[in-house]
Amino acid sequence: MRIDCPCCGLRDNGEFTYLGDASPARPDGMDASPAAMLDYVYRRDNPAGPHRELWYHGAGCRSWLVVTRDTRTHDIAEVAFARDAARARDAEKAVP
Amino acid sequence: MSLALDRATSAAAPATSPATLQPFRTAAGGLIDRSQPLPFTFDGHAYTGVAGDTLASALLANGVRLVGRSFKYHRPRGILSAGSEEPNALVELRTGARREPNTRATVAELYEGLETASQNRWPSLRYDALSINALAAPVFAAGFYYKTFMWPASFWEKLYEPLIRRAAGLGRAAEAPDPDHYDRMHAHCDVLVIGGGPAGLAAALAAGRAGARVILVDEEATPGGRLLAERRTIGALAGTTWAGDAIGELRAMPDVRILSRTTLFGVYDHGQYGAIERVSDHVAVPEEHAPRQRYWRIAAKRAILAAGAIERPHVFGGNDRPGVMLAGAVRAYINKYGVLPGREFAVFTTSDDGWRTVADAVAAGARVVAVIDSRFEVRAGLTQAAVAAGARIMLGAQVIDTAGRPELAAITVMSDAGRTETIRCDCLAMANGWNPIVHLDSHLSRKPVWDARISAFVPGGLPGGMTAVGAAKGQFLLSDCLDGGARAGAAAAADCGFAAVSPPPYTTDPESDAHEPLWRARAGRGKAFVDFQNDVAATDIELAHREGFRAVEHLKRYTTLGMATDQGKTSNMAGLGIMAELTGQPLPQVGTTVFRPPFTPVAIGALAGHHRGQDFRATRHTPSHGWAEANGAVFVTSGQWLRAAYFPQTGETDWLETVRREVSTVRSAVGICDVSTFGKIDIQGRDAIKLIDKVCANAFASLPVGKARYAIVLREDGFVMDDGTVTRLGDTHFVMTASTANAARVMQHLEYAHQWLYPHLDVQMTSVSEQWAQFAIAGPHARDTLRRIIDPAVDISNEAFPFLAAAAITVGGGIAARLFRISFSGELAYELAVPAGYGDAAWRAILNAGASYGITPYGTEALSVMRIEKGHVATAEINGQTTARDLGLGGMMAKKKDFIGRLMKERPALIEPERPIVVGVRPVDPNDRIRAGSHFIGVDVTPGPEADEGYLTSVAFSPVLGQWIGIGLLKNGAQRHGERVRAYDPVRNGDVVVEICAPCFVDPKEEKLRV
Amino acid sequence: MSDSAPTTWQQRSGWAGVTQTGRFGRAGGDPGVRLDLLGRQALATIIVRPGEEAALDRLMQERLGVALPATGRAAFASAGSLVWSAPGQWLVMGPAASALADLPQRLAGVAAVTDQSDGRALVRVGGADARALLAKGVSIDLHPSVFAAGATAVTSVAHINIQLWQVDDAPTYVLAVPRGFAGSFWSWLTAAAAEYGYDVQQVPA
Repeated sequence: MRIDCPCCGLRDNGEFTYLGDASPARPDGMDASPAAMLDYVYRRDNPAGPHRELWYHGAGCRSWLVVTRDTRTHDIAEVAFARDAARARDAEKAVP
Repeated sequence: MSLALDRATSAAAPATSPATLQPFRTAAGGLIDRSQPLPFTFDGHAYTGVAGDTLASALLANGVRLVGRSFKYHRPRGILSAGSEEPNALVELRTGARREPNTRATVAELYEGLETASQNRWPSLRYDALSINALAAPVFAAGFYYKTFMWPASFWEKLYEPLIRRAAGLGRAAEAPDPDHYDRMHAHCDVLVIGGGPAGLAAALAAGRAGARVILVDEEATPGGRLLAERRTIGALAGTTWAGDAIGELRAMPDVRILSRTTLFGVYDHGQYGAIERVSDHVAVPEEHAPRQRYWRIAAKRAILAAGAIERPHVFGGNDRPGVMLAGAVRAYINKYGVLPGREFAVFTTSDDGWRTVADAVAAGARVVAVIDSRFEVRAGLTQAAVAAGARIMLGAQVIDTAGRPELAAITVMSDAGRTETIRCDCLAMANGWNPIVHLDSHLSRKPVWDARISAFVPGGLPGGMTAVGAAKGQFLLSDCLDGGARAGAAAAADCGFAAVSPPPYTTDPESDAHEPLWRARAGRGKAFVDFQNDVAATDIELAHREGFRAVEHLKRYTTLGMATDQGKTSNMAGLGIMAELTGQPLPQVGTTVFRPPFTPVAIGALAGHHRGQDFRATRHTPSHGWAEANGAVFVTSGQWLRAAYFPQTGETDWLETVRREVSTVRSAVGICDVSTFGKIDIQGRDAIKLIDKVCANAFASLPVGKARYAIVLREDGFVMDDGTVTRLGDTHFVMTASTANAARVMQHLEYAHQWLYPHLDVQMTSVSEQWAQFAIAGPHARDTLRRIIDPAVDISNEAFPFLAAAAITVGGGIAARLFRISFSGELAYELAVPAGYGDAAWRAILNAGASYGITPYGTEALSVMRIEKGHVATAEINGQTTARDLGLGGMMAKKKDFIGRLMKERPALIEPERPIVVGVRPVDPNDRIRAGSHFIGVDVTPGPEADEGYLTSVAFSPVLGQWIGIGLLKNGAQRHGERVRAYDPVRNGDVVVEICAPCFVDPKEEKLRV
Repeated sequence: MSDSAPTTWQQRSGWAGVTQTGRFGRAGGDPGVRLDLLGRQALATIIVRPGEEAALDRLMQERLGVALPATGRAAFASAGSLVWSAPGQWLVMGPAASALADLPQRLAGVAAVTDQSDGRALVRVGGADARALLAKGVSIDLHPSVFAAGATAVTSVAHINIQLWQVDDAPTYVLAVPRGFAGSFWSWLTAAAAEYGYDVQQVPA
């Protein structure tokens, strides 16, 4: 497998570490409920198809990435910096 | 430019050629050099081949046709093929440390002095005692493992397996370490061409001419594929000349690389490929500094699969007799190697191309006695050469049996009317159509699809960027190979942005590929083999059918069809064909299995490359490593680091003695330990404290500048990830440490928190683990020692620099350093950090400074003893299954801030009182020894899983107490101090009554720490 | 510290104890690979604060005379060099040990500066076979159409995380190796270079 890191280009998957699903958002702050946190930590879909997931380019630029990968074919449709995806996520959350 | 691929040139051999010593060598022809004799041995007999030979062609040239014994029945076997699909001719190459078993003689290039041996025979190849297995064949029929060696289970280890292994073993691996080395290379290209036959060469030419970066991979010493094995013409040129010209043109292109002697063994996601180049297998000993093999990892934007096809054997009685060969192989031996595999040939064909064998054999001086074609009619003109040669032409007939002792001497042919007849011959050429090599394109689980026109599977949906051409696509005509290859090469280059022009169509000599497959001939007396390497016969497939193992995946596993190292290259189709006949299904409905890498066996050493022995993995050295090594330290690996475990002194005979001395010296005087291996992370920025407060479970907002604090990092699921320290160097500048084992993980976790959880924080973070050497100086004289090396202006008195103080200071005359008053041993202790370049000097300076106090260097063993004496938890306790509460650190958890792991650590199961918690442990009898891993069991309780109350995580012999002590995790442990339990260790016969105590054995009031 | 005597402590290169100078590997002919062990030089990590990239660029141009290099690029100047190393992050190098001492102050509020002068061992790799040699270890494409002078990459060699940059089109490369891995890295490098023949020298930065 190769992942097209947005700043380093196509790199062997040996340079990356897999974390998992990028969809859950951390229930942050003192108000977060245990139930929401349990979901966040453990509940995952297991889709056959496109999957947004977090990878860490540890042997490269140390960027966390959001990789959209088809779990059936390994085809990768998109790779983005996790930081950018997270800022977009937080901006969306901020909208009432 | 033309390479030496011209048969006319090489045929002009001197009359005195040593080739004349080889009775089956032709007088002229072949891509060999008769003027270069190569002596070699096989089973101790001396023979001579010539340059350009494979071991197989040289053996055939010498009339050696029996080369091995089969796997299960020890049947005599010869040479079936002339390529990497060979299932029979498996031999041992070389001797001593370079001995290599199970090598196919058909791909082993001959060199002077090559020593080879047959396998799987005893006492000799010709008289094999175990061939009696063949008489017991019914016992060894399909599924015999499942049926025979069933009960009792203990018999497997003691009886069945050794017996089977002794009887069934193939070659012997070398017993000494491999003296050669293996290399790795990464390569990138626009267009990867897999296979250097006519289709591959045409593709590479078209892509290369367009300017694309091309890599052409070919298994053989010289690319050319079937062009080298057949007598063909392209335009006005002989096929060999055309191939030579093509190679010459490709070699002259700057961005084209030809990898010959290279097998592309695997296809991986996203345009990645694995290949093995046999750099030195064709010479006795690799040139100095040259690798034996080189593992290529190739990344390609486009790939053209031109791997060719494999000819199918016929399935008939005695089809495994030495002398029965694939027709294409017979032509290869004649045309490429100048070898006649026999004197009197018969051809058993179901396809037009089988008939080519007749003209080639006759041209090389052999007799063709008969051509048996199971078809009732063949194209006019096909029989011309056979008629001219005076061969019998038997249409609608089949070969059903063979005879010979053991090499082939006669065949039995049955006519359509059922009349049998014996025909004398010593070589039978089998032509039963060809199977495209669909292995590589199915490595990514793409199933091949059935092509009725050629009665074979062809590549189905190909992985992205890959196209198949030529025979690999089921196009067997040379003109189709060339034109299709050129079109695909041009298209691939165009896909990569190069303007490519397809050449005009190629013209070739007349050809035809008509074919009607025959999955098995009518039954004869002998065993009809389907899978030669695994000894699977047609009757085994019938048995599998009778017993219900009809699905293709069941058939494979029940009979082991296709499960040998050749992955059934010559056998799978016949197996499927027979099953289709038995079930009355059309063949495509029977289906096919897919193939996995590697295409041919790959040596583990080639994949490991540099990484073996000391270089098995990368190791890190500490700044004091040079000194420690020179002073006899014993090292231990900790993560990737090599750390000093202890420093034996002259006269010390036991590691415990050394460790005791080191501990006692630290506790009574002073010691120094290299702790540079801890992870060190520099954290700056306006929001640095916010990030630290999120990542650490204890409170940090209140940490003043110039102070260090113990830090606990949790995972989000509530378990402890690591512990360390955080020091505030400035208002917005921190340095965080992590344990040696978890340093990389903690850095990754911090980056995760920063980049993904809290992307708006103004934080700048980088690892400084390698920048700073860090040494722990511990013991009552630590301050006295330190004073002698730090610059005079620095005040480290207890008042000015109390416990947990931290400061940037200078040492050794102006060298910037950092000093931390932290302690892992419970003693008065400091950690001094200096730039790593001064690490060695600082280490020596501290040893000098402490000499008058009797300073000792101490290693990880003493470090561990002292932390156990103090009850500090470490990796053995922070094992991914413990919470801060379990470790006795629950009270440190912040209440008023949110942090990673905050909620999940409160899950009911993690806070229930029964959950094991850290305790101290000491044997009631001080002479008893306890071991880590022992389980806690009530004193009068019968041991068992239900009685388990926890376990000992760490033990040490405490020099202070003069006995073994430990810490462990015990149910309700905090309430059980003073109680007695057993430390039960049935594996090592340990059963010791211990007393539970607080997990701190030395200086519980911390009087030594704060002076 | 004004009241301290200048240090007598010996500084030690990351390569000390693991390398030998001289000609090794394949004998005969010119060595295909030249390995220059670079002496200690000032080296620091610069991480820009959010929104301060333009200010940092201006300050670096003033200080070193070179602009902040783009992603995957390096810029070399006599006063110092800048090598991109991660998003918002660069390595800055100065010829002398104290060359960058002013940076933390100068960049305060704009970027974090962290000294790494002792954290890396640097080797310059040149010679006719330099590219082939590196291709044995790095999985990135070093073809001149893809990776040329002024290009840099953070990647791994023999399971060791390294950074490399190409200084000229000869081609010549510089590799920065974590100090603690110098021994393991050298073992790989010399094994890989042996078939080309290699010459090792100690050179000032």
